[in-house]
Amino acid sequence: MAWRGAKVLLATLTAASGALVAASASTAASSSDTAFTYQPAHAGGTIKLLASTAGGTLDPQVNYTLQYWQLYQATYDGLVTFRKVSGAHSFDIVPDLATAMPKLTNGGKTYTFTLRKGIKFSNGAAVTVNDVKASLQRLFKVSNPNAGTWYSAIVGSSACLKTPATCTLAGGVVVNAATNSVVINLSAPDPEFLDQLAVPFGAVLPASAPAKDSGTTPIPGTGAYMFSKYDPNSQLTMKRNPYFKVWSAAAQPQGYPTEIDMVFGGTVESEVTAVENGQGNWVFDPIPSDRLSELSTKYATQLHVNPLTAIWYLPMNTNLAPFNNLLAREAVNYAIDKSAAVKLFGGTQLAQPVCTILPPGFPGHVDFCAFQKGMGTSYAGPDLAKAKALVKKSGTAGMSVGLVVTNDSVNMAVGQYVQSVLNSIGYKATLKPLSANIQFNYIQNTKNKVQISLTQWYQDYPAASDFIKVLLSCSGFHPGSDNSINIAGYCNKSIDAKMQSAETMSLTNPAAANTLWGQIDKQLMTTVAPWVPLFTPKQIDFVSSKVGNYQFSRQFYMYVDQLWLK
Amino acid sequence: MFPFIVRRSISAVLVMFSISVLTFLIFFATPGVDPAARIAGRSATPQILAQVRHEFGLDRPLPVRYGLMMEHLFFKQDLTSYVNIGYKVVPQIMAAAPVTLSLVFGAAVIWLLVGVAGGVVAAANRGKFIDPLIMFLGIAAISVPAYWLGEVVNLITQSKFHSSLFAWVPPAGYVSPFSNPGEWALHLLFPWLTLAALYAGIYARVLRAELVNALNEDYVRTARAKGLSERRILLRHALRCSLISIVSLFGLDIGALIGGAALLTEVVFNLKGVGYLTYLSLQNLDLPVIMGCVMYGAFFVVLANMVVDILYAFLDPRVRLA
Amino acid sequence: MAGLAVLLFVVTICLLAPVYAGHIAHVNPFASNLQGTTTVNGKVVSVLQANTQGLGFGVTPIGPTWNISHYFLGADNQGRDVFARLLYGGRTSLFIGTVSALICVLVASVLGVVAGYFGGVIDWILSRIFDILWAFPIYLLAISLSVVLLTSGLNVGPVHVGPGSMALPIIIIAAVFVPYVARPLRGIVLSLREREFIQAAIGSGASDVRILLKEILPNVAPSIIVFFPLMVAFDMLTESALSFLSIGVQPPAASWGTIINDGLGLLYTRPWVALAPGIMIVITAGSLNILGDGARDAFDPKAKLRGSI
Repeated sequence: MAWRGAKVLLATLTAASGALVAASASTAASSSDTAFTYQPAHAGGTIKLLASTAGGTLDPQVNYTLQYWQLYQATYDGLVTFRKVSGAHSFDIVPDLATAMPKLTNGGKTYTFTLRKGIKFSNGAAVTVNDVKASLQRLFKVSNPNAGTWYSAIVGSSACLKTPATCTLAGGVVVNAATNSVVINLSAPDPEFLDQLAVPFGAVLPASAPAKDSGTTPIPGTGAYMFSKYDPNSQLTMKRNPYFKVWSAAAQPQGYPTEIDMVFGGTVESEVTAVENGQGNWVFDPIPSDRLSELSTKYATQLHVNPLTAIWYLPMNTNLAPFNNLLAREAVNYAIDKSAAVKLFGGTQLAQPVCTILPPGFPGHVDFCAFQKGMGTSYAGPDLAKAKALVKKSGTAGMSVGLVVTNDSVNMAVGQYVQSVLNSIGYKATLKPLSANIQFNYIQNTKNKVQISLTQWYQDYPAASDFIKVLLSCSGFHPGSDNSINIAGYCNKSIDAKMQSAETMSLTNPAAANTLWGQIDKQLMTTVAPWVPLFTPKQIDFVSSKVGNYQFSRQFYMYVDQLWLK
Repeated sequence: MFPFIVRRSISAVLVMFSISVLTFLIFFATPGVDPAARIAGRSATPQILAQVRHEFGLDRPLPVRYGLMMEHLFFKQDLTSYVNIGYKVVPQIMAAAPVTLSLVFGAAVIWLLVGVAGGVVAAANRGKFIDPLIMFLGIAAISVPAYWLGEVVNLITQSKFHSSLFAWVPPAGYVSPFSNPGEWALHLLFPWLTLAALYAGIYARVLRAELVNALNEDYVRTARAKGLSERRILLRHALRCSLISIVSLFGLDIGALIGGAALLTEVVFNLKGVGYLTYLSLQNLDLPVIMGCVMYGAFFVVLANMVVDILYAFLDPRVRLA
Repeated sequence: MAGLAVLLFVVTICLLAPVYAGHIAHVNPFASNLQGTTTVNGKVVSVLQANTQGLGFGVTPIGPTWNISHYFLGADNQGRDVFARLLYGGRTSLFIGTVSALICVLVASVLGVVAGYFGGVIDWILSRIFDILWAFPIYLLAISLSVVLLTSGLNVGPVHVGPGSMALPIIIIAAVFVPYVARPLRGIVLSLREREFIQAAIGSGASDVRILLKEILPNVAPSIIVFFPLMVAFDMLTESALSFLSIGVQPPAASWGTIINDGLGLLYTRPWVALAPGIMIVITAGSLNILGDGARDAFDPKAKLRGSI
């Protein structure tokens, strides 16, 4: 997925591998493992976030961009949420609008929550169980992108998928206003259901919210902040929610700024200059590579780098020549120098080569590296001679290969490099750049006969299935459709069965399940090699000198509402 | 005059119709731009895709979609964006128009003054050193890519010398002249200079050539024989007839720029004008906004050319209007 | 004559690009060289160097060595020799720029003169065509074409147009600028047509063709010649915009426009990458300009009468 549309989640990393590179100059709020401690002396001010364009619809049940998911954590709440702290525990799921974590009964198919009392939306209305039910129904009414996958586990969803307008989720969501209970029935146990409720799609909205994509009209929420105005050509304004009172600092802490504005417009270069000059507080877009040296020397204290579980990779079409041939796929894996690709991204401080599907530090990740010089577990470099030999042996030498990339500068740079490598091992490679808005769907549609492309994957939540199952199982492969996220087109029923057993196992024995996922990863990469994994990027945040208390969540990234203005 | 205006109005409608049809066809003939997939979001199932397609009327035949779009754009004026649901196109363009007008007219004043002055000085001093110097500067200026020039101006005024020489330069953006005329001009100063630099060279070059040409004419020889000063000949006689090319170019440039041709300059200097809207909508492949901007631009192209044709008659009274 | 000399120099060194790349610099300007090394002041350095100061983020290509035998202007972000690419790029840009400018000026001259001379319905139709061309959404067309060419290629009658085809950008660029040359010429002809000597020629029964060729054309020719170098400069710049949208020059091929595009991403660290092709465009357009002036003076009978300029 393109950079701006990426959502990033990180697994529970150990402290050693998750160290921050640079700390903010001022003292940060003390962050225990459970919640932020609010320091009223630092409240106030207007934070100005800079983004070159708006992020699309403001509707939290439709928007699938990191740009706004980073803001929704402060404006909306679900029954549960990810813990609002920095560091390893930012991946814990904690109760939010529910009083406690749900009771699971019926073999894990029934979730019973009790809704908290006394919480109000930003329009003053009280939150009731009917709002919870209406919000779950609304997922189908607004055609939420994952209505057909994640939320189809809810009983009654098949009727909702057929006729969304009359969605009732009868039997799936049962609420009782007297006891404030919310009961959700699933058709099968789903170890990821709580994650799927914790992301912004699971936000509890007023039952009066429109039954269609709300676009530029803000919907009231329960968070510490509310969206007051949205003009996609100008800015998005967040103000304090007047009806907000802290019910759980771990779930929705008090924020510091009086107002948070995300201002749109300008080029990324001008945004970086603006933050340098103190005219803005933070840049959303990726920092251009020619500013990195300037920033890391003159503005080092304002730079923060954090690891991400995301991956840049080259999916190869396993159903189309030449990459329907295993030897050809192995050859490309041997030929590409991942360290060179890392250079194009900005150097070893900002990215790390990967050989696996699951990124390092991720649950289930196993260290191995199948196609490289030598036999070590960490990446040692390419083996061009072997690559050329494999190409010859495969009989695909001399074939034309088209590499489809997005036409922004880093993707183009990596693309040109890969094209050069493909040419050197015996193919006739052409580079096919497309604008970001076309490329992602273009490479998914089998009608376009894309042989190899460059793309990124950021995770929705910390589960190995979100990488392996989504990207490489039969259920992700829809020939002829613009949405067929299994871009490699790989469908193998027996590996799918293994994925299914890993999923079932995670309900009872998560550790064993992760081991199994690791094995599936290794099996896919060594025997199938549907991709060339390139590197895992890091998140760079550049904040202005006026800003303090930089806090980073593995789920939500920088907490915009925890920033202090000096 | 009246029949002329009526004829030209019909021409305008015809041109805008042709452009709208071409734009529409080009957009939908492009594989991979199906708005439904991008509106629906990643990993939407084919079922969801079909729902979204139906909701946006994307499953209806092309002529019907075209008719509906034109109806919403011109008559109901409630055409909404594909990318920002519910965000109306016409108010966006109306809000952006003053920004572009401010940028373009300010720059136009500067480039006309500089261009005409440059052309006149070069022609008056033809053969001497200053003539090729002006011509070289002009050529250098027009050979510069707009985006590059804008970025370099930003680099110098906002970044490298911002704390010393250019500390008075405000951050990029637009301030309405009704709220603060001083700030309006200050914010637009460098954008004006940048845009003017790109055009002044052409005008100087073309004018100089036309003037030198005119100075070879019989009537000029007559005027010289009558004893008129070279300067008077240049400015009162030769200039008038040489302005036809300049006026033609100016009409074309102004028409295109008001309609959004200055998109790169607007993007670099963070001026949210029609050019900026065009750029965004092209990036997002937001057909309603693209169509709105293209229609707006086509209108001004036709209008500007019409005004130019009228001006010909003033410059050379013998010209018959078509 | 200075103009001609400079122009010939530029054309010659660009044509000799393979000689330079192969025998003098010993580089392959089209292959990525991210892990390559070169020798600067006796020391072996990486072509793409990781920054070491401060936090050490980012990787910067080496800057100009000012040594003609290698990396004279430094490296671009793929580690390729910028000067070698500049020379190769010149061949593409000179070709696209001059051919499209020629086509544009020729077509525009014919159409503009015809429109101005005949007036009436012919003028009306041609003027509408100019309006449509000028208001046309060229960038939308370019984006659309890039996707079409990428997928299946374009079939125009018997001709198959692939993505790397030079014909496509040449035709698009030429067409888009036709109004820019045609309308001023039309305006001049509108004025010229009413002049006494033309009226006299019409009155004496001369055919339209004869009047166009013998009376109108020589008077418009100086203006036409002036436009040509300007169009070359514009066309080279438009080519860079189209290449960015993947019409025309495909990676790893170079043109001055694509090198400018590459250089925009290196503006804050290696400004020469964007500056050098810009300077080449200025030199080319400038020398064509001087050449044009000389040609015009030689061509214009009245200039001869007045003596040389």
